[in-house]
Amino acid sequence: MKLRERFPHLVLWLAILGIVVFCPLPSHAYAGPGAGFAVLSSFWTLFVALLYSVYAFFVWPFRQLLRLLKKRKAYGNAQIKRAVILGFDGMDPELTERFIAEGRLPNLAKLREQGSFRKLRTTYPAISPVAWSTFMTGVNPGKHNIYDFLARDLSNYLPYLSSAEIKGPKRSVKIGKYTVPLGGARIKGMRKGTPFWHWLGEAGIFCSVIRVPVTFPPEKFAGVLLSGMCVPDLKGSQGTFCLCTTRASGDKFREGGIRVPVERDGSIFRSYVPGPEDPLKPGSGDELRVDFEIRPDKTGTQARIIADSQGFTLKIGEYSEWIPVKFKAGMGFGAHGICRFYLKELSPEVEVYVTPVNIDPGRPDLPISHPVTYSIYLAKLFGPYATLGLAEDTWALNEHVLDDDAFLAQCYANHDDRERMLFDALEKTQQGLCACVFDTTDRVQHMFWRYLDEDHPAARDVPHDQHPQVIQDLYSRMDVLIGRVMKQIDDRTLLMIVSDHGFKSFARCVNLNAWLHQNGYLALKVGKTESGDWFEDVDWSRTRAYTMGLNGLYLNVKGREREGIIANGADTDALKDELRRKLDGLVDPASGRVGITGVFDCDAVYAGPYVDNAPDLLVGYGDGFRASWDSVMGKVTSEIFEDNLKAWSGDHCIDPRLVPGVLFCNRKIAEEKLAIVDVAPTVLKLFGLPLPGHLDGKPWTVASEAIS
Amino acid sequence: MASLGFNLPALIVVGISVVIGLLMVVMFRYTSDQKAIHIAKDHLKAHLLALRLFQDQIPVVIRSYGRILLATGRYLRLAFMPLLFVSVPLILLLAQIDRYMGSTPFETGLPFLVSARVTGAKALGDATLELPAGLASTAPAVHVPAENEVVWRVVAEREGSFVVNVLTSAQASAKQVVVGSGMPRLSAVRLRGPWWRRLLYSAEPALPESNLVQTIEVQYPARVIAFAGLEWNWIWLFFVLSLAAGFLFKSILGIEI
Repeated sequence: MKLRERFPHLVLWLAILGIVVFCPLPSHAYAGPGAGFAVLSSFWTLFVALLYSVYAFFVWPFRQLLRLLKKRKAYGNAQIKRAVILGFDGMDPELTERFIAEGRLPNLAKLREQGSFRKLRTTYPAISPVAWSTFMTGVNPGKHNIYDFLARDLSNYLPYLSSAEIKGPKRSVKIGKYTVPLGGARIKGMRKGTPFWHWLGEAGIFCSVIRVPVTFPPEKFAGVLLSGMCVPDLKGSQGTFCLCTTRASGDKFREGGIRVPVERDGSIFRSYVPGPEDPLKPGSGDELRVDFEIRPDKTGTQARIIADSQGFTLKIGEYSEWIPVKFKAGMGFGAHGICRFYLKELSPEVEVYVTPVNIDPGRPDLPISHPVTYSIYLAKLFGPYATLGLAEDTWALNEHVLDDDAFLAQCYANHDDRERMLFDALEKTQQGLCACVFDTTDRVQHMFWRYLDEDHPAARDVPHDQHPQVIQDLYSRMDVLIGRVMKQIDDRTLLMIVSDHGFKSFARCVNLNAWLHQNGYLALKVGKTESGDWFEDVDWSRTRAYTMGLNGLYLNVKGREREGIIANGADTDALKDELRRKLDGLVDPASGRVGITGVFDCDAVYAGPYVDNAPDLLVGYGDGFRASWDSVMGKVTSEIFEDNLKAWSGDHCIDPRLVPGVLFCNRKIAEEKLAIVDVAPTVLKLFGLPLPGHLDGKPWTVASEAIS
Repeated sequence: MASLGFNLPALIVVGISVVIGLLMVVMFRYTSDQKAIHIAKDHLKAHLLALRLFQDQIPVVIRSYGRILLATGRYLRLAFMPLLFVSVPLILLLAQIDRYMGSTPFETGLPFLVSARVTGAKALGDATLELPAGLASTAPAVHVPAENEVVWRVVAEREGSFVVNVLTSAQASAKQVVVGSGMPRLSAVRLRGPWWRRLLYSAEPALPESNLVQTIEVQYPARVIAFAGLEWNWIWLFFVLSLAAGFLFKSILGIEI
């Protein structure tokens, strides 16, 4: 009876097996094309595997010999066999200490007590791409050329992405109305300097580097690397979500998203996912699309969505898995992406949120890893995963397209993927460097600081009576992860927990362009009292200073900016002094608090060959303040100070002295004052390698014994 | 057509292969766990890539090779379970097709053998072959006592479908013999036994269970099919073509195999 229950088709299977085994014809050896594929591909796989294995075994001694000939003595003078660096973007030292004191973080508490815990001095400015670039190169921004997410084009005062430049193919052929590209996109990394894993790789020390920011485009080195922050989506943006809706609205999202109409066709609703520009019609603005349809069921609680021939069912408030989509342009051209669908509403209106279309890691149209096969390997092993640099869709939450729970679900789904990658890298890198950066800490603190700060202007919608513990839970979760990693390492492994900066509340916005305008440094065109985005209504012939991005303040220098008016030299020095005097200590009249606690001359802060690309001054906002959303985008408003009502309620783009990062280590460190710039030289020293002379960081004195 | 390397049997095999390739792929789709197969294949590919990515690390290479073996086993298990389902109609179909495509009829003037397996030594000694007009015996019967078998050499004088009788005591057991050309339905053996055994091997009614003759068999020549400049047994040609068709349709229909 039990056997029958366990194997309901047992008799049938046995009968089939009996016929095949006991009554064979020669032709029965072949049971259709399925069997053919199964047998052929299995043997092919085993054959290839065997070939690789034999190759690896035979080539290995020669590679070792080659290393010796090149005098690369990996681990010859190393104090450690492996370094594991876990980066938690934005992990704040004060919150960490508070949660340790509350007993929420037992693993970090152990590291603090038995190993080391320090505040880690961050970069000027305290922005992730800047700080992580310094982390990996061991130099100040004047040598790695990253000063913000954005840099300005001197010829037109417009912004561009500071980390990478993506251009179309060099050559193309015109056929009728189509322009057929010859070759792939040209991608140029703008970050200079050499990441320390390149030196390790040259010495024969294997490195696995996962999602460290500003590693796109990936550079060649002896190891594997998956690019992180700054990888674009398929549209080439830093993340453009899509809200497909039957709700008529002329409103545009401020940034980061677009509305797409949903058309009703009987009981079926049709819409599309917008993709990249048609490569056959460059400059036309024609975008490629993937159509999809929504078929609500009778209960009105779920719907079947069919996108690109793939069907899946979603309940309201549920995400799909990553769905591969192909944008077809004709003539065999197209782009492969992945996106997730989130069913928001079925009645009275129909609304579906679609994540930005990420580059498909299994079929990358742009290189997102080194070697290219590494992203494919991870996709095959774990399934599709987010590849976009800023994968957590903060804009969608800011614009109320996603609610708090949906945003958190998205964050933690990405985080879970990252954890899987980390543990695979740990297993694959028993010797060498394993570095992995987690962004969840940054995104969740940005969006949920209002849960910690009841006085925050954006805290009004927070269910404080339910005592939500989002940030507390975030830190606890990271602590559990650290505990799991600690279990996997031995006493010859160095473990470092690093964050690039801390966090503070972002309650008040400062529009520095408005201040510059009201104080006579920035002029508007005649008749204008405000300016649109990117200085639309600015009169450059009368403008002496302007700001864009998060902390940079620029002078309109003659011969440098297209319409510069300030002579370089004594005039610029005088203007910088004047602006520093006036801005430093600027008080918010509404609260009486200091909105700007420091203004720093970049000539004094930076040194290196790329200092000319830096802003002229860096503005350090006070605790609770940050550059306004408008000011960041080169907009001039009438108000200098205003409340920040967005969900994006915490920030770190302020006075760097107020937001140090953290450093935890499983060994004692002698020095008290540590900086993120020191990490690279410290790791190189621990592996026994000589330090390149251009490094700005100083290696720490790290004890040889690890905590048990 | 012939100048292009095609002939009727080849065309038929091509047609059958394409249709069966499509049907089997579709059947596989609905009898298999497509998602599990997709994952198993992806894992296989991942471990293969690991060999290349981490080739300097011998422990990783060794582990990956082990995982490749495990993943191959998992994939084969997932692929062959639905294949057992698919194999039932396919085996029946192939057995039927084999009767038309597997062999050619005997040619006139060329000798062939008729063998009968009987029960008991007495029946072996008594067994005689009764031939119709158009067939003639060319040699005395050969008795193989160890096998309880008696063999006659026969030659056909004209084309046609004939019935030969093996006589033992008072019993006569008939067997069809086809001489000529084309693609008639051929049955190499007439036998006693269960229906499913005859279903796969014989195209003739069963010999009575009380009969002293167990089987009567002739060996039709194997059919050779000219295709693409090569000579093929139909099952090999079917193998190659149905595989190609299956590959084509699985790609078009997005089916994981």
